[in-house]
Amino acid sequence: MLHRRWQLLPILPVLVLALFLVGCPKRPATTSAAAPAPGAPAPGTPGAGPSVAGPGAPGAPGAPGAPGAATTPGTPGAAPSPREFTAIAALTDIHFDFDKYDIRPGDAKVLDENAKWMKSNPTYLILIEGHCDERGTNEYNLALGERRAKSTMNYLVSQGVRANRITLISYGEERPQCTEKTEACWDKNRRAHFLVKAG
Amino acid sequence: MLTESAASGAHAALHGLLTLKRDRAEAEMRLYDLTSPEQRLIATKRFDLPAADGRRLAHKIADEVVYQFTGEPGIADTKIAYVSGNPQAKELFAMDYDGAGRARLTGNDSINLSPVWSPDARSLAFTSYMRGYPYLYRLFAFERRPIQLLAGFLGINIAPAWSPDGRQVALTLSKDGNPEIYLLDVATGAVRRLTRHPAIDTEPTWSPTGREIAFISDRTGTAQIFVMDAEGANVRQLTTSGFNTQPRWSPKGDAIAYTSRQGGHDIWAINPDGSNPRRLTAGPGSNESASWAPNGRHLAFQSNRLGSWQLFSMLADGSEQQPLTRGGGEFTSPAWSPRLP
Repeated sequence: MLHRRWQLLPILPVLVLALFLVGCPKRPATTSAAAPAPGAPAPGTPGAGPSVAGPGAPGAPGAPGAPGAATTPGTPGAAPSPREFTAIAALTDIHFDFDKYDIRPGDAKVLDENAKWMKSNPTYLILIEGHCDERGTNEYNLALGERRAKSTMNYLVSQGVRANRITLISYGEERPQCTEKTEACWDKNRRAHFLVKAG
Repeated sequence: MLTESAASGAHAALHGLLTLKRDRAEAEMRLYDLTSPEQRLIATKRFDLPAADGRRLAHKIADEVVYQFTGEPGIADTKIAYVSGNPQAKELFAMDYDGAGRARLTGNDSINLSPVWSPDARSLAFTSYMRGYPYLYRLFAFERRPIQLLAGFLGINIAPAWSPDGRQVALTLSKDGNPEIYLLDVATGAVRRLTRHPAIDTEPTWSPTGREIAFISDRTGTAQIFVMDAEGANVRQLTTSGFNTQPRWSPKGDAIAYTSRQGGHDIWAINPDGSNPRRLTAGPGSNESASWAPNGRHLAFQSNRLGSWQLFSMLADGSEQQPLTRGGGEFTSPAWSPRLP
């Protein structure tokens, strides 16, 4: 057993307390005990309960849960994994105006061609990716990308493509095609992209 | 010694005894009021933690000192979760409130987004593409427990917000055809729809009473902040111009922070009745994704003012902006935890 006497620590003006609130007490003022290494695996200690492993080392959660293990509220339909789809030269991307999800007149013609291909290759499943430029905020763009994919699907369905062949996925601003901060680049990123899977 | 300190102008003195017993560290702190003639003992408190948690011990003592002087514990014993990575893989991490002790929380090589702490500070809800589509998950930050799927409906499962009692998560689903806000019962997985509007409705945030939810809708043309009651009724509009997203209701209830785009993005706050919209950041670069500290006095946010996305903190009036991360990657979407259990 080791006793260590701290030095008496005068707290000068009470304002110094602000350090505790906002500052980075690099030397936390009260103890010389070593800080744990970042993410040091605390568990494994016998009897180390959750509260112990706890807040000291959030590196511990280990492997992300086995994907199959969790229960599934709202079980995903039969949608195949996006990884099973591949891009195809016959289907052309369309683009969107900033913060909009309606189909531009010029892009409707592109979709007409895409719809023709889809109807003449009726066994293919179709994945429509909705994308945004980086100028929105991440969460809003996930919703905006979803709306872009949905508008695109609605148009294709209006041209006679069966809705049950189509799956949507929004990537928001997370999968940019182009990373420069220019109008031309942003325009490229605001897109609906098509992939297919042989049915 | 107390007298010496008092003579030097100190108002208070903290005295402590640290005892190390095998793998435990026990600290006894004593706080003295040096302004009182008898140098009154204000508080005595003991903490017992694993010896490896020395930093946390110091934070708990700091929070106790703050509590003794202000009536509310400090926020040193909190974590900030965040997103870091690249477009191929964005993972979740957590660090101490001051930026120290970074540790990874996910490792699935996909896109992980929008972490939010449960009110008990034990788990985080987040969106992940780990199974291909954007589903909502929960991870237990300090326990060896598998990640739990909270919502895996067709479409988007995004923008989680825990109810103050931790029983429900408000989120955005598009399973019925359009991004709408739903309540998810965490125990049963049952969902209930709150919004019904052909526009985008997303990014719910609870009032600390649990009676109201603020959210984003583009129903008037561009994204604006609205408030409804937690049953989905009595919708009212708070902001009317510009493009406003990322509403975050203060844990004190008296303000909603949000991100407003005017060229770049900046963080603003508005009273829940729609009065007093005020700008908290004014560049440089973009400032986004505010997250309140549990005391409602501090905010963490992301800024690219230094060229890459880094995390900063500031006071609730926008003053004292200071970096929490300093390079070494990109850091976004800070989520300030409640006080740790």
